[in-house]
Amino acid sequence: MKLSSINYLVGKGISSIWKNKMMSFASFCIMLVSLLMVGLSVLASININKIISGIEGKNEVIVVIKDDTTDEYLKALESGISNINNVDTVTFYSREEAWESMIKNMTQEEQELFQYAEGDNPLPDTYKVSVKDIEKMANTTNRISTLEGVESVQASNEFADVLISVRNIFSVIALAVVIALIIVCLVIISNTTRTSVFARRKEINIMKYVGATNKFIKIPFQIEGTIVGIFAAVAAFILTLFVYKGAFNLFQDNYQILKILGVNSLYSFRDIFIPVGVAYLIAGAVIGFIGTTISTSKYVKV
Amino acid sequence: MVEFDNVSVRYSSGVDALNHVSLKINDGDFAFVVGSSGAGKSTLIKLILKEIDATEGTVTVNGFNLRKLKRRKIPNLRRTLGIVFQDFRLIPTMTVYENVAFVLRVIDAPKKYIKSRVPYVISLVGLAHKAKAYPEQLSGGEQQRVALARALVNDPQLIIADEPTGNIDPALSYEIVELLKGINECGTTILMVTHEHDIVRHFGGRIININAGSIAFDETIGGANEAK
Repeated sequence: MKLSSINYLVGKGISSIWKNKMMSFASFCIMLVSLLMVGLSVLASININKIISGIEGKNEVIVVIKDDTTDEYLKALESGISNINNVDTVTFYSREEAWESMIKNMTQEEQELFQYAEGDNPLPDTYKVSVKDIEKMANTTNRISTLEGVESVQASNEFADVLISVRNIFSVIALAVVIALIIVCLVIISNTTRTSVFARRKEINIMKYVGATNKFIKIPFQIEGTIVGIFAAVAAFILTLFVYKGAFNLFQDNYQILKILGVNSLYSFRDIFIPVGVAYLIAGAVIGFIGTTISTSKYVKV
Repeated sequence: MVEFDNVSVRYSSGVDALNHVSLKINDGDFAFVVGSSGAGKSTLIKLILKEIDATEGTVTVNGFNLRKLKRRKIPNLRRTLGIVFQDFRLIPTMTVYENVAFVLRVIDAPKKYIKSRVPYVISLVGLAHKAKAYPEQLSGGEQQRVALARALVNDPQLIIADEPTGNIDPALSYEIVELLKGINECGTTILMVTHEHDIVRHFGGRIININAGSIAFDETIGGANEAK
């Protein structure tokens, strides 16, 4: 195809947006709502995943060390634990720190009672170990417990199992919702553009009689759909910015709740605006293109 | 050239639209196709345009064997044809110039050629002063002349005119056929479907009469204007 023909077809696509402005506006609105639904669902999903990951991170393994372990061996033990694949961080928590922490949390009377026992601290040295993948937690605790110098390993495997189930169920639901929304978008958009194509079926018929190829007839519609999709994507991005910022501020105001959940913060919009913007643009353009391709197929067949 | 070799068409409804029709229209011919409603005239045109396929027999149009022609190659066949319809079928959102230029754009013609060819063809049908008008601003006769210009612009080997005078005043009808005759004199084959016997009698020439799906009459007669 010659450059002049491409220019002509692109021009036709753009001008028909204006010529059929009511239908274009209807497509734009439907695409905007559809993209917003998908976009906000995805954003909610990735933030909920972050919250679950935060809770998982709080689920630490406590490694209790035998009383007679020397300082040299403590260091060797620490590197031994760190070398296990699934281990993320290892923090030493000395028996003195544990004692101080325990005293701090006591009432005045209890503190007075226990201060006489300070020389005879019964608490053990421990390591707080966080794991990378909570699903491999049982295996990791088993490996730690076989290391020499380890008295016992305390981990809440049941809680880890609950978290794994929650995460898996949530992932499946989130994926299903996003796929369903995308299919709904495509159906609605192809129906809207079908109405627009139907309104111009006479024009399409004339094109066929004068020897236009399917490609020649379809391209202006596809360009029109893609451009409307891109406009809808830009509008959806701007609306998402406001909605997300509102939701983000609401969560930040209740920061304590997040901290308890083990989440420092949700993703700030500044961190994700590039991938969100690119995803919206690609989704808008692709959905607009595929929607018009499906809807034109019926009338365009020569 | 159009050749029908023992062609039959039976629609899915069971109606036999054409029965063993054999027919040859040579390059440069001007032929009227006449016949009553339902005789098979439209089926004949649909076959030439490959809108439908023959149930039996072979149709050859401008060197294309339509039985063997693949769907994606249909545009190539139609680019060798010019079509004029009774209801004009102009694109209402395009000006006269754009309606005519559109055909050349479809076949990827160079911009320079479009700029010189389109005004020339529009002037041939006498509408140079209306090039910027939209179809709704034109009379029926003028719209049909635009349709003629559109059929002509691609310099087709064959122009099919399907009742081109059906929607215009009788006085203007003669003008349209005169134009078609003029085009024919330049070498283009014309196949004109009509049920207006006055026009046929006036111009004369080859007349193909279809009746109940068969050719009842295929002769060349002298026209009234020739007699004058």
